[in-house]
Order: sequence, then structure tokens, then C-alpha cells
Amino acid sequence: MSISFVTNLILAAIRMAVPLLFIALAELYSERAGMVNIGLEGLATVGALAGFMLTYLTGNTWLGILCGALAGILINMIYAYATVTLCANHTVYGMAINLLAPALASFIYRVYFGEGSSLMQITLMQGIGIPVLKDIPFLGTLLFNQTPMVYLAVALVIFTGIFFGKSKAGLNYKAVGEYPKAAATLGIPVIRTKYLSCVICGALAGIGGAYLTTCYSTTYTEGIVSGRGFIALAAVIFGRWTGGGVLLACLFFGFCDALQIRLQVLNIGIPYQFFQMIPYVATILVLTVVGSRKAGPQANGKPYRKEER
Amino acid sequence: MEKLRKSLTTFLVPLLSILLAFLIGAIIMAGLGANPLTAMYALFKGAFGTSASVGTTLNKAVPLIFTSLCACFAYKCGVYNLGGEGQFLMGATTGFCVVHCLGLTGLPGILAALVTGTIAGGIWGMLPGILKITRGLNEMIISIMLNYVATLFMGVIYTSWIRDANMPQTPSVDDSLKLGRVISDMRFTWALIIALAVGLILYYFLYWTSSGFKLRAVGLNMTASRFNGFPVKRYILISFIVSGAIAGLGGASDLLGTQYRLINGYGSGYGFDGVAIALIGQLHPIATIIVAIFFAALRVGSTSMQVSTGVPTSVSDIIQALVIVFSVAGMALTKLPEFEAFRLRLFSKKGKEEVNA
Repeated sequence: MSISFVTNLILAAIRMAVPLLFIALAELYSERAGMVNIGLEGLATVGALAGFMLTYLTGNTWLGILCGALAGILINMIYAYATVTLCANHTVYGMAINLLAPALASFIYRVYFGEGSSLMQITLMQGIGIPVLKDIPFLGTLLFNQTPMVYLAVALVIFTGIFFGKSKAGLNYKAVGEYPKAAATLGIPVIRTKYLSCVICGALAGIGGAYLTTCYSTTYTEGIVSGRGFIALAAVIFGRWTGGGVLLACLFFGFCDALQIRLQVLNIGIPYQFFQMIPYVATILVLTVVGSRKAGPQANGKPYRKEER
Repeated sequence: MEKLRKSLTTFLVPLLSILLAFLIGAIIMAGLGANPLTAMYALFKGAFGTSASVGTTLNKAVPLIFTSLCACFAYKCGVYNLGGEGQFLMGATTGFCVVHCLGLTGLPGILAALVTGTIAGGIWGMLPGILKITRGLNEMIISIMLNYVATLFMGVIYTSWIRDANMPQTPSVDDSLKLGRVISDMRFTWALIIALAVGLILYYFLYWTSSGFKLRAVGLNMTASRFNGFPVKRYILISFIVSGAIAGLGGASDLLGTQYRLINGYGSGYGFDGVAIALIGQLHPIATIIVAIFFAALRVGSTSMQVSTGVPTSVSDIIQALVIVFSVAGMALTKLPEFEAFRLRLFSKKGKEEVNA
């Protein structure tokens, strides 16, 4: 247990937490407007593919991230139309997205790169050190020498905290998730807010997926999201539907993920799959300890019909 | 009459969704430079062209029937079991380990594998059920997490504990354990008969027994059921256990019927496919079986489509996903008040014309 082992572990934990954080924030914005979206896994998958392909074609990781966001929005608009306008069951439709999006992604990948092609690779986004701060021993390497996406994620968490806690727009947004009818009588555009929440959700989940290919793994493989979309759902519950809470939850799950990779490398005679189980088992244990305690937006997952009383 | 109209809509929506999905599939095929009609013909011929291909299709349908009935049963009680894949794999893994480690052969071995597989699936399904009723947890997240755990556990078996020499897979089960064919020149085995029997039993239970009625009542309105004195939590737990047990039995049957060994990628996607199939089948066990066979046909057919026309098999995955995307949206559409108004206007107009004539 040297200091470099600990530093590397925490570094890896932050790297693993960031995609989760984007996806969990996507769900936070969605659920704050009453939209339970369990299609995050699918949205992140198309985001990962779009990010990979654009970076492969242009060599620019930023375009990849942008394209990931757009792909996420595009797919999530199907969900938005079906659940907001047609009042379809959120859970069921999220499942439909989880089936459609990966099918689409693997189809596009196979058609473009050929069925049995060798693994295509891209160069990852480079880390940017913040001058002066990055030279602080220990903390400097951990916090101030990361890819811009890490800073972006942190900025997003701070923004989310201020938006939902202090701003009028944020309170209006939350009202839609708590009690849409009351919100409507106050002149808050409920339907428009719900659509907006789906745009934000699609974009952030897409960015989370694109992070995996452009900042983490260099290749696109099927199942690259590997359950992060569902762990993100747990992170929102664990984080009590607040930006800061979600950040802590994601750091915890990121730590579990980093830990399991380190333990696999140690090679101590236990089948490596047992270590791979750690993030999933941790999710179950954390939820069991936290319990549900009826938190979260009141009208979460309920359809909103304008004319209904 | 009203009931007839209603069942007509519930029947029409999936049918139209399938047609629409195939239409988009055809556009994709044309976009890839293939003749959609030739490709579609190759697809259907590959799935149903000969008695051998019908047998292959039916065989392919077995795991899907099990996982879709698993999803169907839980939904009927109003809970979402997205863990069909994990329960299926736990069934297959446990069944395999029991016969392998005890060295059982013949009929006792088959029975042992099926029974222990069912129990293992039931236990795996019980976990999210218990956590839901005692801690109020979201059963979807828990059951999905358990899918990953089950897949990894199977990985432990075939890469470390019961490994077949150099290959990352287990040895095959004993020949005497393999389920035989029902008809000698068709590939489907007794596993299909087990699957169909489970479907019929579920249908009987859900629609012809009082417990089944109560279970459906819990699914339709949990609050009302609680006020009527139904033990809601017990029904939820039981539905999870039974649902898991169905998937577990499926895993064990498919292992002895087709798969014979545990290997990387086995069972991947079966759980979510099952959910999709159950939803398209409108949560009716018999309709679910038919949709499962249809999905299996798409899969079998798409392989021969790829061989003869070069259209990749993943097109059929997209068609499948579109069927569920359209049918769920379509069912929601028919429940909208605007649609109801439109339908009434349509029918009353017709009624007027009839009166005039």
C-alpha cells in the first residue's frame, strides 16, 4: 500500500466516476421533471458509438463528445414523444429504448467497419493541467491534472446545485416533477419543461457514453456501457436527487470500479470475475442500506394529461 | 361488442407495429443496396422454408419462451422483473454444476438438473422480491444488477472451476442427459414441450383460478387490492419467485436441450428480449409464446438472409426493437382520450350511415 498505489487508485476512481456522473446527472434532470428514464444504458451506448465514430473520422475528441450528445438527444426524443405526448409508461418505454439504441449502434458499427474487422482505435482526449494548482503535492495530480471532461463534470454538479437550490427557473423546473397540475396553473409550461428535461437527459447521457470511448477506452465494443446506465439510476436514489449527493454516489461507485480493476491485476488466486462483481454487488448493498424512504419528486414516472382533473 | 372492439385494437396494434417495423427494415435493406423483397423472402424461407428450418426456429424459441413467460408473470402482478437473464443463467449454471459434480446420468440426472435449475432461478428471483417488500427498493435496478452478477458467476464456472482443458468453456454434459428430439427429423427437443406446458399452466392459473385472479388484481391496482384484504406483499414475493423459477427452468432445459455447455456470451440478451416479447404479447401467456416464436424466426431467418443477400443479421435486431418501440407507443396512443374521441366519432359516423341506408 504505497502512496502511489493510493494515488493511482483515487485517480482511477475519478476517471471511472465521471461517465457515471454524466449519466446520473442526466437521470437527475429527467426525474426532476417527473420523467423516469431507464433507457440511459441505451442512450449512453449510442453516445459512445457516435463519439467514437466522429473522433475516428475527424480526429477531434471534442466533436466526438458533441456528436455523442446529439445522438443521445435524437434517441431520447423518441422516448419524449412516446411518454410525454402519448403518455406511454415510462419504465416500459425506457426498456424499449434500451433495446433499440444498442441494436442501432451495433448495426451502424458493423455496417461501417465491416463484420469481422480488427479493433479500430482512436487517440484519447489529453489531460490539461491547471497551472500552479497542479504542482500541489498529491492533491495537484488528483484534482488539477485531468481531462477537461472532469472539470466540466464538476462544473455541472455545481451548476446543478445552484440551479435547483437557488434559481427561480430551477424551482419551476422542480415543480413540474412534484405537482405538474399546480405548476400548470402557475403558468409553468409543463409539457415544454418535460421535453426540455428529455433533451438535457439525452445530451448528458450521450456525453457520458462518449466519454467512455473518447477519454477512457480508445475503442468501441458492444456492451461498453456495461450496466453504468443502471448503476446511474441507483446513484440518483443514493444521492437523494441532489447534485452533490449524486457526485458522492458516483465517486463511491467509481471507487468500487477502480478497486476491482486493481484487485484483478494483483492476481491473488481468486477468479477475476468475483472482483468484477464488486460494483454491482455494492450497488445492491448500498440501496439496501439506504432504503427507499419515499424520497424523490412526487409525480415521478406519472403521466401528465392536460385535460384530466 | 365493445369488448370485441377492444380486443380488435389490442390485436391490431402489435400487428401494425410489426408491419411498420418490417417496412423500416425494408428501407434499411434497400439503403444497403439489397433488394428488400428478395431479402425478406430469404428471411422467411430461412425461418419457415423447410421442416428442418421450422424445427430450428422452434428450438431457438425455447429460451425466449421461458424468459418472456418469466417477464409476463411478474408484470401480471404489477412488478417489473428485468432479471430474466440472470435467473435463466443461474438455472443453467446450477443445473450444470449439479449433474457435473454428482456425476448423474440418464433420467435422474435430467430431473435433478431441471429441479435444481428451477430452484436456483426461483432464489435468484426471490432476492429483488424480498428487497422490494422489506426495504421498498426499486426491483428493476436490483434485478438488473443480479443479471451481471449471474453472468460473472457463470464466468467463474467456465473459466476457473469446471474448465474444459484449454478452452474457456465447460465440458459438454453427458450424452444420456441431452434431451431427445420429439420428432426425429425436426430439431426441436422436449425442452419445447416443457416450455409450452409452462405457458399453458400459466394461462390456466392466471385466468381460471381465484389465486390467479387475485394476482392480476394486485397487478392492476395495488391500493384497491390492499383495501380488499389481499396480502399484496405476499403476492409480489410469490410472483417474483415463480417468475424466477420459470426462467431458471428455462435455463436448465435449454442447457440440456441445445446448449450442453456453459460458454462465454451464453444467455446474453435473453432477459430483455423476454420483456419485449411479453409486452408485445400484451402479457397474455399464449400470445407471448406466439411472439416468442416470431422473434426466434427473425433470428434464424436473418442468418440465411445474410448468407444469400449480404444484409447483416443486425437488421433483424433493429426490426425487433422497432416492433416494441411502435407497439408500446401504439398501445399508449389507443388509451389517449383524443384517440377514444376519434374512435367514437368514426364509429358513430358509420352508425349514422347505416341508419341512413
